[in-house]
Amino acid sequence: MEFRAWYCFGDLLSNAVVALLTALAADALFSPDWSMFTAMVAAMALGMAIANACCLLVLMRCFGAMEIMLPAMLTGMLVGMAVGMSRTMSGLATLDHVLLALVIALLTTVAVWGLDQHLSGEQLPQPAPGNPRQRDRQAQE
Amino acid sequence: MADIDTMKKWDRAAPFFDIMAGEGAEKRWLEAKRALFSHMQGDVLLLAAGTGLDFAALPPGRRVTAIDISAGMLSRAAPRARRYAGDLQLVQMDVNQLAFADASFDQVYTSCTLCSVPRPVHALQALRQALRPGGTLFMFEHTGSRYFPFNLMLHAMDPLSRRSGPSLTRDTVANVAAAGFTLTSVNHLFLDVVKTITAVRPAADSTP
Repeated sequence: MEFRAWYCFGDLLSNAVVALLTALAADALFSPDWSMFTAMVAAMALGMAIANACCLLVLMRCFGAMEIMLPAMLTGMLVGMAVGMSRTMSGLATLDHVLLALVIALLTTVAVWGLDQHLSGEQLPQPAPGNPRQRDRQAQE
Repeated sequence: MADIDTMKKWDRAAPFFDIMAGEGAEKRWLEAKRALFSHMQGDVLLLAAGTGLDFAALPPGRRVTAIDISAGMLSRAAPRARRYAGDLQLVQMDVNQLAFADASFDQVYTSCTLCSVPRPVHALQALRQALRPGGTLFMFEHTGSRYFPFNLMLHAMDPLSRRSGPSLTRDTVANVAAAGFTLTSVNHLFLDVVKTITAVRPAADSTP
């Protein structure tokens, strides 16, 4: 897991920016005239596209590559899904959608940090014939 | 026959490589690459040199041959190579057509390379042949993911990414094993996507 302050800030900022832009775009593009399912799928794709554009053009230059791209795409997808659906069925204001998006961004960032903490570190492959560890052990025996 | 398509692809990418994806990633990965490269000793083969962003992570005083398929990349790497405090030779070469004699190197290092090389298992077999028996392959690579939704997103981006850059879905750990190396460690640095891999050419390996 990343502990350097600059990159932790970058992770949070990247997700927040993507969430904000996706929420504003979905809020502007979709309306109660859309079917919920269509709006959800279209807004998810919109969120992923916004995340890609933001990462490739700006964010990856400052904060990293996969570490920025994957969480930002997940945030874009989730915010698009939530705001797209919300626009078809409720009277939430734009500010409410923005706040919802920022909460999703924060939760996504923390979830990815947690998963990264769980997955990161040494993953020893199964010993195979000829593996030096196995050879050492056999030599000791 | 030279892989003209791959050569042209990276020649086209060379002018934009540092600003589009290289610099941010290299800064974030610098410490991990320094740790991996700190094992360098003996005759070392490094691929792919790219624009030489990795040279800042090399320990000084080593004897390194760095290859890349793209002349455009190497022309940008040359000034960085001159600043390296050691013996660093740049050579334009396709990893699938290595021109080195068998067992020429004590160690081989790759840095975000096997995501881009066509026929990765064949390339790894060529690297195994270039290594002396018992020699070590050190890799810093990004791969596909086993976990939803990251595998979905990587597969969604892959067709576009492959046109101008790397593949995002490769199982490089399995490719290393399939090429006849013995895996000794896999260390995840970000999720199961960015990782270091070390493997050895078995000491008794005499097969091409």
